[in-house]
Amino acid sequence: MQSVTSEHHPVAWSGWLAAAALPALLTRNPLYLSLVLLAVGITYLALGQSSPLARSWGAFVRFGAALWLLTIPFSALTSHQGNLVLLSLPANWPVVGGPITAESLLYGLTTGLQIITLLLSFAVFNVAVDQARLLRMTPAFIYQMGVVSAIAVGFVPQMVAAWQTIREAQQVRGHRVRGLRDLLPLIMPLLITALERAMRLAESMEARGFGGAIEPSSHWRRLAQQLAILGGLAALASGLACLGFLPDRRLLAGSLLAAGGLALGWSFWDQGRRVRRSQYRRWYWNRPDRLILGASLLAGMIWLAVWLLRADWLFYYPYPPYSPWPAFQPVVGLAALLAVAPAFLLGAEAKAIQP
Amino acid sequence: MIKLDHVSYIYPDQTVPVLADFSLSIEPGEFVLVVGPSGAGKSTFLRSLNGLVPHFYGGRWAGRASVFGRDPVGRAPRGMADLVGFVFQDAEAQFAVDTVEDELAFAMENFGLPQATMRKRVEEVLDQLAIAHLRGRRISSLSGGEKQRVAIASVLALQPEVLVLDEPTSQLDPQAAEEVLVALRQLNEDLGLTVILSEHRLERVIQYADRVLYLPASGAPPVMGDPRAILAQLPLVPPLVRLGRALGWQPLPLTIKEGRVFARSLFRSAEAGERSSLGLAEDSGPGRARGRGEPLSPSAALPVAQPSPAATVVLDGVDYSYNGRPALRHVKFQAGPSEFVALMGRNGSGKSTLLKQIVGLLKPGAGRVTVAGLDTQRAEMDDIIRYVGYVPQQPGTLLFQETLDEELSFTRRGHHLRPDPAADRALLQRLGLAEVGGRDPRDLSGGEQQRAALAAILVAGPQVILLDEPTRGLDYAQKEALAALLLDLKREGRTVIMATHDVELVAACADRVVLLAEGEVVVDGPARAVMSDSQVFSSQINKLFRDPRFLVVEDVLREMKAEG
Repeated sequence: MQSVTSEHHPVAWSGWLAAAALPALLTRNPLYLSLVLLAVGITYLALGQSSPLARSWGAFVRFGAALWLLTIPFSALTSHQGNLVLLSLPANWPVVGGPITAESLLYGLTTGLQIITLLLSFAVFNVAVDQARLLRMTPAFIYQMGVVSAIAVGFVPQMVAAWQTIREAQQVRGHRVRGLRDLLPLIMPLLITALERAMRLAESMEARGFGGAIEPSSHWRRLAQQLAILGGLAALASGLACLGFLPDRRLLAGSLLAAGGLALGWSFWDQGRRVRRSQYRRWYWNRPDRLILGASLLAGMIWLAVWLLRADWLFYYPYPPYSPWPAFQPVVGLAALLAVAPAFLLGAEAKAIQP
Repeated sequence: MIKLDHVSYIYPDQTVPVLADFSLSIEPGEFVLVVGPSGAGKSTFLRSLNGLVPHFYGGRWAGRASVFGRDPVGRAPRGMADLVGFVFQDAEAQFAVDTVEDELAFAMENFGLPQATMRKRVEEVLDQLAIAHLRGRRISSLSGGEKQRVAIASVLALQPEVLVLDEPTSQLDPQAAEEVLVALRQLNEDLGLTVILSEHRLERVIQYADRVLYLPASGAPPVMGDPRAILAQLPLVPPLVRLGRALGWQPLPLTIKEGRVFARSLFRSAEAGERSSLGLAEDSGPGRARGRGEPLSPSAALPVAQPSPAATVVLDGVDYSYNGRPALRHVKFQAGPSEFVALMGRNGSGKSTLLKQIVGLLKPGAGRVTVAGLDTQRAEMDDIIRYVGYVPQQPGTLLFQETLDEELSFTRRGHHLRPDPAADRALLQRLGLAEVGGRDPRDLSGGEQQRAALAAILVAGPQVILLDEPTRGLDYAQKEALAALLLDLKREGRTVIMATHDVELVAACADRVVLLAEGEVVVDGPARAVMSDSQVFSSQINKLFRDPRFLVVEDVLREMKAEG
């Protein structure tokens, strides 16, 4: 029997994802990133490969490695900055001509490290949590969007299967694809199949009460909501602008972003309350889930605090005048390692179950 | 109680109403079967019961409808969902989420039912449809019959008064269809649920219905009444009823059991046939080995057809697996000119895979496939399709040109043939498509589309014709037309190989039946011998007499004439 094995709390793991992916967005320091990557890898091993979703892991790793292999030569061949010259290409070669430096190699290496860290944290998250269920946990105000995205996700494999059928059908009529024009016989039936399918699904969902009633609200409430959305968006925008143009005023930018987020969140929550619908699945917070969330929140807070207050700790730039040797702060290293928490918690749980 | 009062409805951009001045009433707890030719408005009528017509489709609506006191037009489908549960034809396309349990809860979540209620009802419907063992499964891993039962459970969770089903079994094999229908009958009897169901294959459902609603092709008014009374008037009916009408049996038998009473008195020899079922087949040859007393191993009883020197299709020890899952195991199979072979077996038994092997879309993992002397492993697709024509399960996937005429010339170009409008016209004429040559193939009806796909294949003049489930969604008239055409092609010396669940079609036209199970050929023998030896894959008339002489109505009538 093929059952859905993942029963980890999606919220706990969303927290973990944030804590593991945040470093890749905030720093390019290879020491911290390597630590995060290590923690992510151990977590994957602890999750076990039994889950049906684990099959996607290999694809993620291959894709990440391929990107990484691309970023290093790209950076090395195009940048030509730095003092540690490894070799020189003839200067008259367009773009790639000039000195190849160790710094540019390092820069490419760290860029690739950021990408693969981001990618693999998503991959682990994917293994731990069934995205389809996660999408259905979307709060009430965007519930319909959640269902629609879940359907879209499921639509892709169906379309691949339909494409295969149509290709076969056209092949036996002597159709060969030589150029773009020859794709028409394949695309037309595919579009029609997709549309017909979408219509049938829409009908079936409509017949089961999808898109249920929304209770009316008072005039003042609606006004408050609209103001909150407007104000929230404005605060978010100015926070982002502040980040971009006044890189030193991080505290101001951070508080603007937070205020904007809160205003939007309240407005959405309040609108969601009026949507009449309920959740069938009840997620239980067991001990590991709570601890994972706790550890992830702690790690996330450390990262944000360091980013807001001591951004120089995270700073890394291999080109002169800065040193190509990365700095290391134990506190940040600890935050990076907190992403390994699930591995210990899940391992302990597994041992407890075994006699 | 359901009441339609002088309802008329026209789809957008159409001039002829589908429902014209339509009135009826259905009592609570009735099991109503809706029948009629394609395009007579069966689906439209069903969709008017929960407001999908006119809300989802647009168009013009007139008249009054009332379903248990609610007006579907005023309430819209959403407002009817807790009163009318609707199950669609395509088991695949009606699921919104990916696991069984979530699917069952989907409608209840939309209605904002409290979690405790949902838990309780999910357990209830899991038991009612006997699908508790499927609760954690992914929908994509279910079989067709299981999917359809999940679909029924998912609308039952809202505890509706009425269950409306639009051809729910048309895509299922006979056994899976039976499971679904038995489940429906039980819901109707135990819970007093009103069931309204449309279906083409009357022989499957007629025994369950309390009343039948017959929607004739455009123009004539609909008729509703007792199944026997309606069946006595219908132009095309299941073989059992046809025989009953021809012989004047009264009351008209609807089930095999009822028919047997009449059949027993018909022939003295038929009674003997019941005792030693295949003993009578001795003169027809292939059943002879049966005497050795191995009644339950038909493969031993029916020798595999001897290799004929002229065989155009030869599979020799073919193995094939999809991603490590075996789909064909050591299959030996041949077919020659003027042969009509039916491939039968459960869904997933390897029928479609076998057809794809013959046309070279799949290559054998082990063994050899030879078509007209070409080894498909080495031959080019272009060469194979000069001899083999293949009509896939969904004929629509084949068609994409703006007109049917262009479809034919497209195939000609693909086969490097010279354009020949006169021959194209003659072919369309022969397929009964002369009128629609200039139309967009996608606007054609189900039966026309099937024939259009066949035309697009036949224009290249293949020696071997492969068809995958050609009668899906066809009504009796369309099916008869298709059978006649295929028999014609066979008489011209072509090989016809057809994968199908339709036992009556096989009884009417196949010479040979190959039964597949788990990718293996279980039985390969003359249709008459195989079908009269099988409990599942036998025709109504054969079930009635249990005598290999009688597969179709004509067999019985001929025998009666001979006996005087």
